[in-house]
Amino acid sequence: MALLEIDAIHVFYDKIEALKGISLAVEQRQIVTLVGGNGAGKSTTLRAVSGLLHPRQGTIRFDGRDLAGLGAHDIAATGLVQVPEGRRIFGRLTVAENLEMGAFTRRDRHAVAEDRDRMMRLFPRLRERLKQVAGTLSGGEQQMLATARALMARPRLLLMDEPSMGLAPMLVEQVFETIRTINAQGVTILLVEQNAPAALGIADHGYVLESGRIVLSGAGRELLDDERVRRAYLG
Amino acid sequence: MSGVHTPPGLAAPIHPILRRAVLTGLAFGAGAVHLTVVGVVLMLHQRWIVVGTLSLGEATLLAIAAGAGAMAAANAGTAAGARIMLGLLAGAVAAAPLAALAVLIDLVSLRAIFIALSPDLLAMLTLGLGPATGIALLIAGGAGAGLLGAALQQSPRAVIRAVLPGATAVVVAGVFQELIQLMLQQYEGVVNDVRAFLYSWEGLNPAGAITIFAVTALLGEAVGLRRRRRPAHAPPRDPRRARMMRAGIALLVLAVLPAFAGSYIGQVLMLVGLYILMGMGLNLEIGLAGLLDLGFVAFFAVGAYTTALLTTESAHALLHLSYWLAMPVAVLLSILVGVLFGLPVLGVRGDYLAVATLGLGEIVRVIVQSDFAAPLLGGAQGILEIPKPRIGPYVLGSPVALFYVTLAAAGVAAFVAWRLENSRLGRAWMALRDDEDVAQALGINLIQCKLLAYGLGAAFAGLAGSIFATMLTSVYPSSFQLLISINVLALIIVGGMGSLPGVVLGAVALIGLPELLREFGEYRYLFYGAVLIVMMRLRPEGLWPSDVRQRELHARDETLALDAGSDPLPVQPR
Ligand SMILES: Nc1ncnc2c1ncn2[C@@H]1O[C@H](COP(=O)(O)OP(=O)(O)O)[C@@H](O)[C@H]1O
Ligand SMILES: [Mg+2]
Repeated sequence: MALLEIDAIHVFYDKIEALKGISLAVEQRQIVTLVGGNGAGKSTTLRAVSGLLHPRQGTIRFDGRDLAGLGAHDIAATGLVQVPEGRRIFGRLTVAENLEMGAFTRRDRHAVAEDRDRMMRLFPRLRERLKQVAGTLSGGEQQMLATARALMARPRLLLMDEPSMGLAPMLVEQVFETIRTINAQGVTILLVEQNAPAALGIADHGYVLESGRIVLSGAGRELLDDERVRRAYLG
Repeated sequence: MSGVHTPPGLAAPIHPILRRAVLTGLAFGAGAVHLTVVGVVLMLHQRWIVVGTLSLGEATLLAIAAGAGAMAAANAGTAAGARIMLGLLAGAVAAAPLAALAVLIDLVSLRAIFIALSPDLLAMLTLGLGPATGIALLIAGGAGAGLLGAALQQSPRAVIRAVLPGATAVVVAGVFQELIQLMLQQYEGVVNDVRAFLYSWEGLNPAGAITIFAVTALLGEAVGLRRRRRPAHAPPRDPRRARMMRAGIALLVLAVLPAFAGSYIGQVLMLVGLYILMGMGLNLEIGLAGLLDLGFVAFFAVGAYTTALLTTESAHALLHLSYWLAMPVAVLLSILVGVLFGLPVLGVRGDYLAVATLGLGEIVRVIVQSDFAAPLLGGAQGILEIPKPRIGPYVLGSPVALFYVTLAAAGVAAFVAWRLENSRLGRAWMALRDDEDVAQALGINLIQCKLLAYGLGAAFAGLAGSIFATMLTSVYPSSFQLLISINVLALIIVGGMGSLPGVVLGAVALIGLPELLREFGEYRYLFYGAVLIVMMRLRPEGLWPSDVRQRELHARDETLALDAGSDPLPVQPR
């Protein structure tokens, strides 16, 4: 059984149908990517999974459990954690406080402190900036913080929304490298990206989303070589 | 000279430095004329600072001319002597529009339009000496004040440090003469003798003014010297400890002052205390949780009416509880109403929330006022005969006694607010304030947290309302206007969003001071407005900002620096 199973969900913004019956699955320990252009419905998919939006039809199962009717905070407590689009860190809190917010649902103080040390090893730049207000971090650092904050929740599935958006090419590489590292440490990842080549390059499995529909899917490498994907995204 | 625009009407080009002084003078003069025409100056003229010598109105005009002089001197790049002469010029120019106004009043009566332009005003401006001499004196006075202002501006710091506090002290002692005299009069002996030495009946007498000026100037000098004498390399004092010290001293003054100052001050402080309570409540909602609530007065009303219904000796009584039993019930009911109040606006954010809560607040007032609820709540006639609280046989009847009740309540409330701020809940509020969606996605229960913010905020307001009811021994719907919500909001902003000591300072500045200036009637709101504007210009973070707020404003500077500097290019390769 897959860790996350999305089955034919339809999601609406009032009358606009943003997702027109998409299905996908994420297996344990995989990196699965959902690629697509601007406005395809990638963020909408993640919002539906994390409970900020509710599908009008279809089901979302996490670890076999139907998420229908759960509030966003309940879903977070089941281990589904999002790194939101545009690095929405808490700009007025410090780096340390942001990390602490990531562990909000956890009670195991001791393990939380350990995880914090782990984050400092994963992102050494954050260590020097623990007392700094997060809003003053550079773009790359904010992405690190948003990722670290999500990891502080010990997610069973990490949802990442366009982590490479707006970053310089060098930093983009670093971001994908980090995603690999995190995955290698045992975290399952659903990665949403416009940067199809890079995302498909590290993914076990990929889906291509267009106008609220999944038009293609397959192993990451396979899709990277697919003629239609090449034409659409690789120019 | 090129580049400076000269009006075509002036034949000979004026030297730019002179021009600047003249313009400065005219700007200040225009301000003076404005204050005069709207009637403030004449109103202030009713009040002596130094009996028979200087009225508050005259002092205001002189201060304006001195300000023109100081500014003209500060802006000029010439030798010191020349700058002082520029000050003289600017002061004279500042007086010129007033002189013109005096001539105008003398020639035509404009009272139909501007009621303040009366013969009394003319007499004041010309010192009762008739137009010709009077106007000459008016301009000479302006020139003199401008000269003094410029001279002071050019003086060494030591002089400024003595003169400014001295002058301020004289004005304060003069303006609040009635209060101070009443306070001192309570005591026989030396205290009263000091009063008699300083004051003639309606204000300071010249000897008193000079004494106060001299003593304060010396004090200012002494404090300044002591500061300077601390060696530069000595470790800076721990700012946190210094803050605690200041807060402690302020608290001590608050606790001790009313006992000596008598019932009027007690009453004012009590009002300040009620606003502090409400400020701390709204601070939880706005400062921490970011919920802009303009219906806050509703909770205050619930606290007051609950207390009234449970304790009154009139026919409206539901029960005849003692005050100490009614108060907790009032607080609990306020919490309940706060939660109910939060429910319909759960999904509303930002500006829309302000409008929605404003509506909810008004609904509560309208219900209380309605005929429909009149059998229960008394309608516009309100509820009377609310007894004062008692401790055993002792009735807490005086404003001072009730002030101590308020102070104790505020102390408890401050402790609760402080603990909340540093709790998990407080952290969750701050996260919600910054980004609702992300906060939820991290496991924060939005509904629970928001309702708790409304409920706990309401608890503080309900407590204040409860004390308010027993203070007035009656409640009327007209006491629960929107203006109260706005006052509370303003005091939080002036004090410093999210800061507990800020709430206290804000309440003293915006509630206490205008109350003490009550005799100036509606004009005191002029003061209120001026304070708000000046504060937002000079100190947008508030009088005593919270650490977080300070960090934010500081952070903004850092961000600007970063943008200009070394930030890696945030460019999207497409
Ligand atoms: N809050 C919203 N209200 C209405 N329509 C929205 C909203 N957010 C997104 N949409 C629409 O839904 C579609 C999918 O958006 P989104 O999921 O954000 O795309 P992506 O993340 O792939 O760029 C777009 O057509 C967008 O205009
Ligand atoms: Mg998106």
